[in-house]
Amino acid sequence: MSEAAAPAEPALIAFRGIEVAFGGKPILTGIDLDMHKGEFLCVVGPSGCGKTTLLRLAAGLLPPSAGRVLYEGHDIVGPQRDVAVVFQDYSDALLPWRTASGNVSLVYETLGTPRDERADRIASVLARVGLAEHADKYPSQLSGGMQQRLQIARCLAQEPKVWLMDEPFGALDAITRQSLQDEILRIVADTGTTVFFVTHDLEEAIYLGHRVIAMKPHPGRIAATYPVDLPHPRDQRTTPEQPEFMHLRRVLLEFIRGTQT
Amino acid sequence: MTPKRLLLLLLSVGVAAFIVGIWQLASNLHWVSPIFLPPPDRAWAALLFDIERGDLASRVLLTLEHMFYGWLLASLGGILIGSAVGISSTARAYLAPTLEFFRPLPASALFPVLIAFFGLTENMVLVVIGFGALWPTLLATINGFATVKPRLHEVARLMRLSRRQFILSIALPNAMPEILAGMRLSLTIALILSVTGEILSGSPGLGYWIMLQARAFRAPDLFAGVLLFGLIGYASVQIVSLLESWLLRWRA
Repeated sequence: MSEAAAPAEPALIAFRGIEVAFGGKPILTGIDLDMHKGEFLCVVGPSGCGKTTLLRLAAGLLPPSAGRVLYEGHDIVGPQRDVAVVFQDYSDALLPWRTASGNVSLVYETLGTPRDERADRIASVLARVGLAEHADKYPSQLSGGMQQRLQIARCLAQEPKVWLMDEPFGALDAITRQSLQDEILRIVADTGTTVFFVTHDLEEAIYLGHRVIAMKPHPGRIAATYPVDLPHPRDQRTTPEQPEFMHLRRVLLEFIRGTQT
Repeated sequence: MTPKRLLLLLLSVGVAAFIVGIWQLASNLHWVSPIFLPPPDRAWAALLFDIERGDLASRVLLTLEHMFYGWLLASLGGILIGSAVGISSTARAYLAPTLEFFRPLPASALFPVLIAFFGLTENMVLVVIGFGALWPTLLATINGFATVKPRLHEVARLMRLSRRQFILSIALPNAMPEILAGMRLSLTIALILSVTGEILSGSPGLGYWIMLQARAFRAPDLFAGVLLFGLIGYASVQIVSLLESWLLRWRA
């Protein structure tokens, strides 16, 4: 259970009366949402429901048409170093002309980390995602799963307080996806970070989240919130067999079916 | 080397040998007067003789110098101007028509203009080469900047890269395949303009030398010079191609 849901603690990220419209067409409407420190929040919904737009608001990549997005009580006006984004299209998000360690190095270059400290820190970050052996390989020489690990390593180097993940495992095969899900849970447990996780995979949302937000399209809005009352640490074999897991999966499935009719 | 590549290599050598054979035949059978078309063995003998006599090496060196410095000037100029134009879409919009006006301008048309400014000097030749060879690299750089994927722009924003860091870490490496292809084209243009520049300015390189041979009706020496130009062009493009495949080794 997440103690982060306690009402006394102020929200780390707060959406207040958000409206987003592109060219007069409403994309998101009436979004009010609090994310608490240490929370793993999963967002599901059919395509076009504005999940990614919500994530881009939190990333500071997009300003809302109306309403406020707050980070630690301050308006988000642009991207910040505390907040890391993991994209689904890892191959486009990495620099193909840099090796694995070069890609991580970019973070330290922008942070102005002294040169002689970089090598050690790069090595330790790569080791944490299991890429120690592949430091000198270019992205084109890495499998999809390893490229996504590399993108995660690059975000780790930022030492973020918040991870924003946009369907990060959507393009990976089932086995790789499961091992990366567990790695993310381990990283989050180790670092106590807060996660905003967009996915279209309902089971993934239940498996990972403290809370699942379900959204509806046309225009995008939050339809329901489901707390996930499953014990930690979660386990790929036993967690999906628990009654609570199966119940939530059924509820969410019915919800998604309902949005499509 | 795979058998298939070996076969292709042999075949390509065979084609070249066949052409030399036809050339030899054409001269031996007097299809064309050897005064205009000396046989390849005589051109080759003339080449060896001229090299031995000593003044050819220094001429080749001077031409290589013209070509190399002109190319360097064009490459640096192309990358610098291209980066400045490429980084801002506003600058691109402002400058594009002007660049499009200058681009198709024949560089050789500039010789009379620049001779008026610089006189018959080495600098005049270098400026013309620099101008003429600028375009492939310049346009490749601008295009390479424009084709940075939107996702990488976002990554750059998220990491809060400064404009300088964006150019050096993302835009230029992204443009590198195109820049190198442009530089390879520039190299050939630089060689062409070196010859023209030497002939016009009387700078004692290989270009001026072959013109002297032509005026003296020394056809074998003239062909020896032309052969040398072919070699220079071929070798220099090969070197740049090697550099290219090393710099772009990150590609799958």
